[in-house]
Amino acid sequence: MPPKGTTKKKAANDGSTTHTPTLAEQLSYLHSPRPFKNPNYTKNANRRTKNLKTVLGQEREKERVERERRRQERDNQAMDIFEVKKELAEVDEEISTYLSIEAPPSVLPQRHYCDITGLEAPYTDPRTGLRYHDKSVYELIKNLSPSAAKDYLAARGVNPVVR
Amino acid sequence: MDEAETSNIFYVPASNLPNITPPDSYNPFRSQPVPLIIDNGSSNLRFGFSTSTSPHSSPNVIAKYKERKFNQSLLLFGDAIDAESGAKSQGKTPWESDVLLNFDAMENALDYAFVRLGIDAEGIEHPVLMTERLCSPLHSRALTSELMFEQYSVPSLTYCVDSVMSFYQNNKPTSGSTFSADGLVVSFNTASTSVIPILNGKGVLSHAKRIPWGTQQSTEYLLKLIQLKYSSFPTRVTSAQASWMLHNFCSFATDYPAVLRSLKMPASMRAAERIIQFPFAIPVVEEKTEEEITRIAEKRKEQGKKLQELAAKSRMEKLAKKENDLQYLTNLKEGKSENKREWMHTLQVEGFDDEAALDETIKKLEADVKRARKKDPDGQDDVIFPVPQLDEEGIKEKKKQKLMKAGFDARARARREKEKEREEKEAEERREEEERESNFDDWAARLRREQEAIMNKIKERGRRKAALSDRKSAAAQARMKNIASLAADERVSKKKRKAGAEDMFGADDEDWQIYRKLNAAAVSSDEEEEFNQLRIIESKLLMHDPTFTAQHTHASITSQRSALISAFRPQYEEGDIEGSARIHLNTERWRVCETFFSPGMAGVDSAGLGEVLQSILARFSEAEKARLVKNVFITGGPSQFPGLQERLHGTLRPILPPEMYLGDIVRAANPSLDAWRGMASFANTDEFHQVGVTAEEYQEWGGERIKRWWGGNCNSVV
Repeated sequence: MPPKGTTKKKAANDGSTTHTPTLAEQLSYLHSPRPFKNPNYTKNANRRTKNLKTVLGQEREKERVERERRRQERDNQAMDIFEVKKELAEVDEEISTYLSIEAPPSVLPQRHYCDITGLEAPYTDPRTGLRYHDKSVYELIKNLSPSAAKDYLAARGVNPVVR
Repeated sequence: MDEAETSNIFYVPASNLPNITPPDSYNPFRSQPVPLIIDNGSSNLRFGFSTSTSPHSSPNVIAKYKERKFNQSLLLFGDAIDAESGAKSQGKTPWESDVLLNFDAMENALDYAFVRLGIDAEGIEHPVLMTERLCSPLHSRALTSELMFEQYSVPSLTYCVDSVMSFYQNNKPTSGSTFSADGLVVSFNTASTSVIPILNGKGVLSHAKRIPWGTQQSTEYLLKLIQLKYSSFPTRVTSAQASWMLHNFCSFATDYPAVLRSLKMPASMRAAERIIQFPFAIPVVEEKTEEEITRIAEKRKEQGKKLQELAAKSRMEKLAKKENDLQYLTNLKEGKSENKREWMHTLQVEGFDDEAALDETIKKLEADVKRARKKDPDGQDDVIFPVPQLDEEGIKEKKKQKLMKAGFDARARARREKEKEREEKEAEERREEEERESNFDDWAARLRREQEAIMNKIKERGRRKAALSDRKSAAAQARMKNIASLAADERVSKKKRKAGAEDMFGADDEDWQIYRKLNAAAVSSDEEEEFNQLRIIESKLLMHDPTFTAQHTHASITSQRSALISAFRPQYEEGDIEGSARIHLNTERWRVCETFFSPGMAGVDSAGLGEVLQSILARFSEAEKARLVKNVFITGGPSQFPGLQERLHGTLRPILPPEMYLGDIVRAANPSLDAWRGMASFANTDEFHQVGVTAEEYQEWGGERIKRWWGGNCNSVV
């Protein structure tokens, strides 16, 4: 079996006039043989890169179906109403999917930080909605253009639609 | 606090070209059921055989790029993308924020991994252990299984969660016994941070939680902050550079509000900053030497002279031609024969309609010649003739001379007035000097008061202008009232109108002053005068008063930036190219890491790490809680940032009962590679073979089902 280096070089050289292959060409493995791949395998049509949103939507569907199925099973097996209730609770706990794992929204009160400097911000500018630390920062804010102010707000996650 | 460093300046690292290493030799592993371990991470792909000590690791990016120079298509992976600058924009990753979505890229990545390992058999004949995300979506898992089983024909495939494996590596049981450690794993991944409780060696995944904030989002946040702070930065800051800055300069604050309070002082902010120097280019100014300058000046003079000579010559030629013409025509006129018809014929031959035209032409030529003669610098006739002897031309000349005399007189008058003014000014200055010398303090106080008065006036003007732009202010409403009253019909009362009187606006000169009030935008000449006066006063004060420095002038007061802002974002001079290519990081160093604990700061509506820990621990009983917190384990890239362990300790201590023992927060020995190592060591145990999904089982169940075991997910399990 010839060492892999030469096959790579040859692959890079054919099809063009003799020239020393560049670093990128030497690193490229486009032409290296891959015997481990199954030539009979055809790409599943399902494999097209799906949007994250559609994938998550599918997850939600599957979770719902699964939950229904388990509930059915327990129903069939249940002897006693109390048992059913207990097992339902268990079932609901057990199913963990990508979405159920997600952290809940925060319940702690938000601290206000200055949008410009990052220090504590007791004040808010009524015109733009930016939070600021003291009056010198306010001077700076007064001279901002509306688009710059919108950028600062977007960094905080506040997206004013009509301004 | 940071120690004072001699040089606070750090240089952005230049990118290195990747090296070419030959692929591994496959011989030791051929036809051996050695497990193949693949740690499929969002940022790095780590792969190798389980018997190796460390894996091959490279960034999980694919680029399919067609090179322009030689028209070659290239397929590059990971570090190799740095070799080709155009390939970076074409890079695709199989992961999209924590979910495996792009399977073409995944296939190429796996191809690379296997080529690198030198596999040349037909199909992969090793059992494979791969990582997947915590509770990975079934879609991703199904397609990965399909890829592995059908494309690469692996005999068996096992999925595991990387953080649990890292935990396993650091808490390995003694050989022979099963894994039964307890602990709380906090894992910092690329696009998320997850907390997993582990009891009895088994991950309680139903109680695990995932925060959608990871290294990738932190890097983007840092980049956004820098772009906002330095909106006019000369070079573009890339995410790779932002990531470098994040990893080297950012740290967790144990008590964030306290850190902020200390940074409030400009001095401490300056002490805590890090300066990043970006590469810059000094523009080459071609300085012409003295000789060159004189040479160029001489050339220009010569050219000018040549042009002048040419012009003079052409003028002479024209003059000569005109004289000739004049001579010819005069001769013609004199040689006019008595015969009218012949005369007419001659005139027509010359091109004149009649004698009058000929006379006119002669006169014009004579005047031109005379003018041209006069322009020559030899002799100017300034002769004054007495009136009766003058002819037409003389009268014209006399008029000209009168005008010149009048001009001369006016100029003399103006000169005299200027002299008078100068004398007055000098007298005033002398008076002031006397005043100054006699009573310096009073004089200085007076001038200062004047300066303040003018500055106040300027400020008032500015305030009024600002108030006018606000629609609801008193000034704007007063203005509207003025406009309305001017336009009202009742300017003249009804009675008077009936009597025939009209609107008398404008009869009085003072009426027009109202337009000054109405027209808010005009910069009146009053402002300029005020500025001039201010400048004069200030210059006098600067010259004579030792206590009045340049800082007291109006210009410096208005443009004074507070000390805080100049510590936060130092302003460099216009021409300082090196300075303007610098980035100062002061509050960002802690602000970015704080987002892990409160993602709300950056607009992500999710609970922070502290809150999540609290809610998870609340779901366990006291006894279990005790077992969990005895062993808190952190892993992942950001776990290396300084200050994290103290911060977590400070977060957990208040929410636990005081008598519960909170162990030291343990960090993985090698946060990036430990997951792979854990997997490798697990793969060498017997248990490994029981938890994998074999090819037959795959055919039966499909790609979504897996077997339940302590290190894997538990969605859609058998």
